[in-house]
This record gives sequence, structure tokens and C-alpha cells, in this order.
Amino acid sequence: MQRALPTERNATPLLLLLPGLLTIAVFFAAVVTTGATSLLDAQGGWSLQQYARFLSDGFYRDFVWRSFRIAGYCTPITLLLGYPFAYTMSRSSPPVRLTLTLVLVVQFFTSYIVRTYALILVLGNNGIINRPLLFLGVIGRPIPLLFHEAGVAIALILVPLPFMIFPIYSVLKNIEPNLAVAAASLGANRTRTFWEVTFPLSLPGVLAGIVLVFLFDLTAYIMPGMLGGGYFNMIANFIQEQAMAVLDKRFASAISIVLLLVTLLILYVIHVLGSRLRGASG
Amino acid sequence: MRAVGWFARSVTALVVICMLVPLIVVVGASLGGGNEIAFPPNGLSLRWYANVFERQRFLTAFQFSLLLACAATSLSLVIGLLCSVALVRYRFVGRDAVANLLNSPLMVPQVVLGMALLILFSQAAIVSSLIGLGALHLILAVPYTVRVLSAALVRLPVSLEEAAVIHGANRLAAFAMITMPNMKPGLVAATMFAFVTSFDNFTASQFLVWDRTTLPVEIYAYAMIESDPTVCAISTMLIIATVAIVVLAERWVGLETVTG
Repeated sequence: MQRALPTERNATPLLLLLPGLLTIAVFFAAVVTTGATSLLDAQGGWSLQQYARFLSDGFYRDFVWRSFRIAGYCTPITLLLGYPFAYTMSRSSPPVRLTLTLVLVVQFFTSYIVRTYALILVLGNNGIINRPLLFLGVIGRPIPLLFHEAGVAIALILVPLPFMIFPIYSVLKNIEPNLAVAAASLGANRTRTFWEVTFPLSLPGVLAGIVLVFLFDLTAYIMPGMLGGGYFNMIANFIQEQAMAVLDKRFASAISIVLLLVTLLILYVIHVLGSRLRGASG
Repeated sequence: MRAVGWFARSVTALVVICMLVPLIVVVGASLGGGNEIAFPPNGLSLRWYANVFERQRFLTAFQFSLLLACAATSLSLVIGLLCSVALVRYRFVGRDAVANLLNSPLMVPQVVLGMALLILFSQAAIVSSLIGLGALHLILAVPYTVRVLSAALVRLPVSLEEAAVIHGANRLAAFAMITMPNMKPGLVAATMFAFVTSFDNFTASQFLVWDRTTLPVEIYAYAMIESDPTVCAISTMLIIATVAIVVLAERWVGLETVTG
């Protein structure tokens, strides 16, 4: 169906792409300049000193480990919450589906700052979780959530939910509904139909959601910044601090490049996994 | 047989609560009369809204954010439209590579992107927030507009345009009068993505606020220092604006375009 109109010459697509490619060129220039900056030592000579410094010090490595750890356990919980939501959305009657879509889209378009700030009010010592529990005498003193890992983790589970739900929903809603009917007519109950028919077919969406949320959590800045209040910095906060407070741009560049390479590696691994998945199911 | 079991329904209800309750708390707390943030609010007043409008820095930052978002949105729509025509309507060597290239800024962590542009612009001795943040927001918005507009264009058969050309319209007129109106849902979705991407960006933007700051940067700075309900008031206004835009989009083109 898609084909070129017969009268085209070859230069036209290049001209159409030119403004877009120029924009991307600025982006690549920035990444290359940062790469070059990361290779300068304290005296301005070329060396790998910044990388050696980052990798040799346990204090710095802790930020990386902590970010991986928290992203590692928050992502499965986001999946556990997001999948049933996407499933309900794809199988509900039109009014329910519209309501869920509205809630989700409003969530998606509401600024991260606002959503994270809102969680401060919920999780604080005087927030709506701690106050009623204190009042009822269920707990003697506030549960430490704000300015602790627990608070940051709760934010990293809840805030990226739309990134998990959208890709799963868009796969689920395109699964042929007659497949489930066929499975039921062959005697499978609903649980079995789900695990043997629906879930395997939705795996590409699950994989896409996991990557988006894992990378969101790994490189999060606002949630550890606001809910950790400086007591629970992650790798992105550390980069910002080195660049804007310590003013060590060469060191900050080196950590940025490390984070970029880690991100690209994860995307590559998932890309390979995704191709295998498609190969296996198709 | 019910289509959705009790487990999926309970989790969905829990997620809806987790999404809505924090926003309701913010809206409630913004109406408080006391100096401390409280929910339910103690006493009702609009004094924190007044406080927002009395602070010049919020107003200045809001104006600059709006300017940036409008500029980034309109430029990225034009760029996205041109790119999607090239990618969807032409066959050329390296087309997939170009599509990936145009999408590549989204693979880079925000903090790295902000850092990289800071290094580039300080090396080039360009320390203007308008230029730096303009470039950043354009780089972030173009992947969305290219993706959404390409998806919209791919659904429209080229034969519609060909018919117009056969009847005497030139290519540009055929595109503007036949294809563009049919892309309306895609254009609305692309506008929303581009605008929000720019207007809400904080993590990358905070590296480039040399001479002017944006609203998210001001809100973050204020929230980290002060603990009065002023930020609740700003947040409430942003929540109301978001809800209004989403409801309008639903009425106008339906939300299926946004959810993909």
C-alpha cells in the first residue's frame, strides 16, 4: 500500500529530513563533547583518570549499586500493579475503560514534580498514612517513609506506572478475543486461558514496559531528590551534584558516559531478547 | 462469565486509588488556611493562591516556560511532519537507520542529556537559556512528533492524495487539503506530547538555567526550601490544566490516539 509517487527524485527525502537531522546533530555533538571532556585529567591532558577514579572508589560505586538495586526490585512491583490494570482496561465495558483511560492519561500528563510532591504529603510523618495510624494507636511513632529508601521506592513504583501500562495495554487490546473463547470451548478455565494463551501473547508488551520502567528508575532524579531529601541520592543526583555543586565537569562527564553506556547495553540486551521472543512465537 | 477476575479488579482499584489520592491530597491541602501543610485542611482560604501570584519569580518562570513550550511545540511539529512524510512516503537507503537516529535522544537518560548540552554550550560559550533550553526541548520533542505523526500518516492511503493530484491539485495542496485534515488526531496527540515534554521538563533543564529559569525548576527549588502550601496551590493549577486538556482531547479526537 505504501509506495513512492512516480514523479519523485531522490533528493526530496533528504531535504525533508534535513531539519530533523540538524536537531539530532546538536544532540550528537553534545554527547561527543561530553565524551571528550570525560577523557581529560585534572591538568587537562588526555587520560582515563576520571573513569579510574569513579570505578576504584567504593563510595562512588555505591551510587551505581544502589540505583540498580532499587530499580531491580521496584520494576517487578510496578509490573505486578500495572499488568492487572492494563488487563482490566483491555477487557472492560466501554464506560469503565474510558474512566481508567482518563485516570491513566491524566496521570501520564501530570508533571513529575507535582506527582512526586504529592507523595511527600502522603508519606510524611504528618501525612495521610502515618497520622491516622498514630491517632488510632496502631503505631507508636511515624513509619519512616519520607527521607528514607522506602519513600523513594514507593515513588519509583507508582510514578512510572503509565510506562508499564501503555505498552501492555496496546498489546492486550489487539489480542484476538476469539482465542480466549476457543480456549474456553476446549475446556480451559479462565486462569488456564490467561496463563497459556493471553499472557504469552502479551510478553512483547511486558518486555517493553519492563525496559521503560527499569531505565526510568535507574536514572531517576526527581523522586530520590524530593523524597530522599539528600539522604538517599541515586546516580543521577550524584552526577548533578558533581556538575553543578562540586563543579567537576570532567568527573561528571565520565559518570554520565558510564550511565549512558549502561543504558545502551540494557537496551541492546532487551532488543536481542525481544527478537528471540518474536522469533519463538512467530 | 465475567471478563475480568477479582484479582485484576482489586489491583486495578488499588492502582486507581494510588494515582488519585495523592492528587486529591494536594488539591485539598492547597485550600488550607494554616501555615503548615495539612490534609484535611484546617480552615479554608485561597491565601496560598494569592501567594503564588504575588511572587514575581513564579510568574516570570511561568512565562518563560510557556514561551519555550510554544516554540518547541510548533517547531517540533513542523520538523516531525517533514520527517514523517520522508519516512512514510519515500523509500530510500538507510530509512530505518534514520528513523532510529531520530528516536535516539529518548534512549539517553535525562540527566546525561542535560549534562551533555551544558558541556556543549559552555564549550561554545553560548550561555543563553533561551538557546540552550530551546535546543534541549526541541531534541526531546522531535522524537515524539516524528513517531506519532508517522503512525498517523502510515494509516492514510497515498491514493487519496493521488486522486487529488489527478484532479489537478499540486502535491503540496493535495497534502495540505486532503492528508493533513485526516491526520487531526495524530496532530493533536503530537501537540500534547511535545508541549508537555517541554513544559514539564525538569531533570535535563536544570543544567541550562543560566539567565532564566523555568516553572518546574522554580517549583522544585521552592519545595526543597519552604514547607508552606504554596507548591500545593501551583500543583493544583497544573492538575486542573492537565485534566482540562485531557478531557478536551477526549472530546475532540478520543484518547485512543494518545494511548496508542
